[in-house]
Amino acid sequence: MFPHIVELGAKKNQAIHLNSFPQSVSECIRIYFINDGKFEWSINDESFILYPSDVALIMPDTKFGNEKGVLEIGSISWIHVKAHKKENADLGKWSSLSETESQAINKVLLMNNIPVLSKLSEAGRILRYIYDEINNQEIGYTTRVNQLIDELFIIITRHLTKQNNRARDFPKVFMQLEQALRQNLSYQWTVEEMAAIAGMGTTLFNERVKNFTGFTPLNYLINIRISEAIKSLKKADVSITDIALDTGFYSSQHFSTTFKKLTGYTPSEFRKNNLSRD
Amino acid sequence: MSSEKIIYQEINFHIMKCIITIELGTNAVRVFAFDLNGNVIGSQRGYYPTFHTEPDYSEQDPDQMFITMLYALKNLLNEHIHPKKYKVASICFSASMHSVLAVDKNGNPLGNAITWSDNRAKKEAQKLKASALGKTIYTATGTPLHPMSPLMKIAWIKNNDKERFKQTSKFLSIKSYIIKQLTDEYIIDYSIASATGLLNIHKIKWDAEALKFAGITSAMLPDLVPVFTPLGKLKKAYQSSLGLSADTKIIVGSSDGCMAILGDGVKNEGKATITIEDSGAVRMMGDKVLKDEKQRFFNYLLTEGRYVSGGPTNNGGVIFEWFTRQFGDFKNPFDIEFSMQDLITEASKVPPGSQGLIFLPYLLGERAPIWNANARGVYFGLNITHERKHFIRATIEGILYEIYSIGKTLEENRGIKQLSVNGSFANIPFCTQMIADVFDKPVHLRQNFHSVSFGAFLVAATEMGIYKNLDEAAKTVVLPDEYLPEKQNHNAYMKYFKIFERLSTKLAPEFAEIANL
Repeated sequence: MFPHIVELGAKKNQAIHLNSFPQSVSECIRIYFINDGKFEWSINDESFILYPSDVALIMPDTKFGNEKGVLEIGSISWIHVKAHKKENADLGKWSSLSETESQAINKVLLMNNIPVLSKLSEAGRILRYIYDEINNQEIGYTTRVNQLIDELFIIITRHLTKQNNRARDFPKVFMQLEQALRQNLSYQWTVEEMAAIAGMGTTLFNERVKNFTGFTPLNYLINIRISEAIKSLKKADVSITDIALDTGFYSSQHFSTTFKKLTGYTPSEFRKNNLSRD
Repeated sequence: MSSEKIIYQEINFHIMKCIITIELGTNAVRVFAFDLNGNVIGSQRGYYPTFHTEPDYSEQDPDQMFITMLYALKNLLNEHIHPKKYKVASICFSASMHSVLAVDKNGNPLGNAITWSDNRAKKEAQKLKASALGKTIYTATGTPLHPMSPLMKIAWIKNNDKERFKQTSKFLSIKSYIIKQLTDEYIIDYSIASATGLLNIHKIKWDAEALKFAGITSAMLPDLVPVFTPLGKLKKAYQSSLGLSADTKIIVGSSDGCMAILGDGVKNEGKATITIEDSGAVRMMGDKVLKDEKQRFFNYLLTEGRYVSGGPTNNGGVIFEWFTRQFGDFKNPFDIEFSMQDLITEASKVPPGSQGLIFLPYLLGERAPIWNANARGVYFGLNITHERKHFIRATIEGILYEIYSIGKTLEENRGIKQLSVNGSFANIPFCTQMIADVFDKPVHLRQNFHSVSFGAFLVAATEMGIYKNLDEAAKTVVLPDEYLPEKQNHNAYMKYFKIFERLSTKLAPEFAEIANL
């Protein structure tokens, strides 16, 4: 019925057993919610302390567990959902989110490097509803379960972007976005994804970026693409097609047109003029 | 209907000229188009990031700056200039001072450009300042011996990045690099050159002692030209991509500091300009170099025999922004501007002097007048009655006391009768009035006015012969609203300023000690 749900559980742990919570790696997205107690977990070899209402978000291929292998006393609930690991993938066929939104959420989750979300009691409530729906199997429950998982991903994503942007000022937020764009320049970014990373709706995001940079988000991205391309063009050993793709253009044709429009030169003319002559 | 059409065509036959100014600022490029009367036709800004890969480092990507500049220029031309059939007569540049970019023999950048706020060359600066050679070089070059100076940065590369130093064919300023892309010439104007710490500002020649300290020859620097110099033609590719004709003049222009004072109409002694953005400066124009035993002032060259002298501060609006971020109320997480406004309203409820709370704003170390990189922020005089509103007011007062302490040292050398202020922090009305009160002088404020770009317009217009010379050009600047000082407030501020001034120097040993912990 739910091939994407690999595991769903809740546990009230009243005694400490050896090797009850060893570190492990999984292909799934694992979400843990703390109902009660204090847990010291290691995520990707970094140790975190979680308190009630906190959420641990463990992305695929990430090492996770207790360093000593034991589950501490307390109460937790969790879900493991199958994930697409590719960066331009969506959440999966089960999701009723639109394709762009689904991709944006997946992107934000994959790029996130803070695996603990503090004070997100909403997540605990949703996990309980999912549990109840599956137990009761009332009419429409398959749809409801999938909707609830969608909702879980939405609130986690929103919380993440807000938590990351607590700095409260746009220049700082923009700096982080700029870094994300540069690290993944070959990716076909959408405005929705960029806005999600900045923790804003697209309308506000567009307005903010325009005010701050003087450009629309996509035009600002072209600035970065072209300036990175210029650096590569000055090196003889990279082909123009590779440069185009590495810097996020659809094709060498697309690259060439955009490059010429801005600089007046085609990439190959530019290369001829600037190539290091040793 | 038909008669209207004919008139429209006639207008089209009449060619209207315009001047474009390009300001390569700290965080963004600002492109303006002016008609020949100095009215703004349109403007466009383009942000570029500063990278801090190490705590003391501030770098920018020269290619990204170039592309951003082109893009902004192109947008401006397409939106405002080409549709209205203006003909671009000339393009005039201004840029931040103190940047250094090493390029190889093909003119390609060796790493990023090092910007003015980069502090990596601390040791080089300390060493030179402690030597007799330092005094000789300061006297010759007029640039304070500080890590901001390209002299120190080049020395740093020589000492710490030998590979880059070996490959370097020339050390450029960011503006020189941008102009090289457009016209294929290696040039540097007098103003930017006079802020490198390498130029003898009396002889307008590269200084032999400074070159020796940096370990380079004058062949490794661009050619020196006056600010009016029209350069070679725009490269063909850019003529066609931008839609500009071959006879568009490219004018080298000056530095942002010199342009700002010119754009504010300051042409003679007796007038000073206060700029407070993130950082700040107090500047005066004069026909002599301002000599200072304690090496506290900069002296930059606008044109031959015209010096812009003054002192810079690190701690301007950036400090109030820091305060707001820590202690402001945020209704909307991104609206720092609103929070600042709320804080200012709260501060206005406290009388001048903040009832005895004094703030030293040296969170970023300080340049003029104390020149102490180790200086720190201090709240002094706290007692049990002080509330948040006192802290807010004391913070603003501290920032402006620092500006005043620069102005006061300047005034010991040259009289100041009138002030003009610009910059996003100084032009908050509450701050403008406070400047008038603290200085006890009338203050002219220009709201939303880009003095730097207007200065560049005046340079280009003078080059075209619209004005006889820069003094005539500066005369045409209409001075805006005046804020008058209130004596009573001034007296109140001065009681606390005395303590502020003493604390700033008295605490030097403690600043040094805490820096070494």
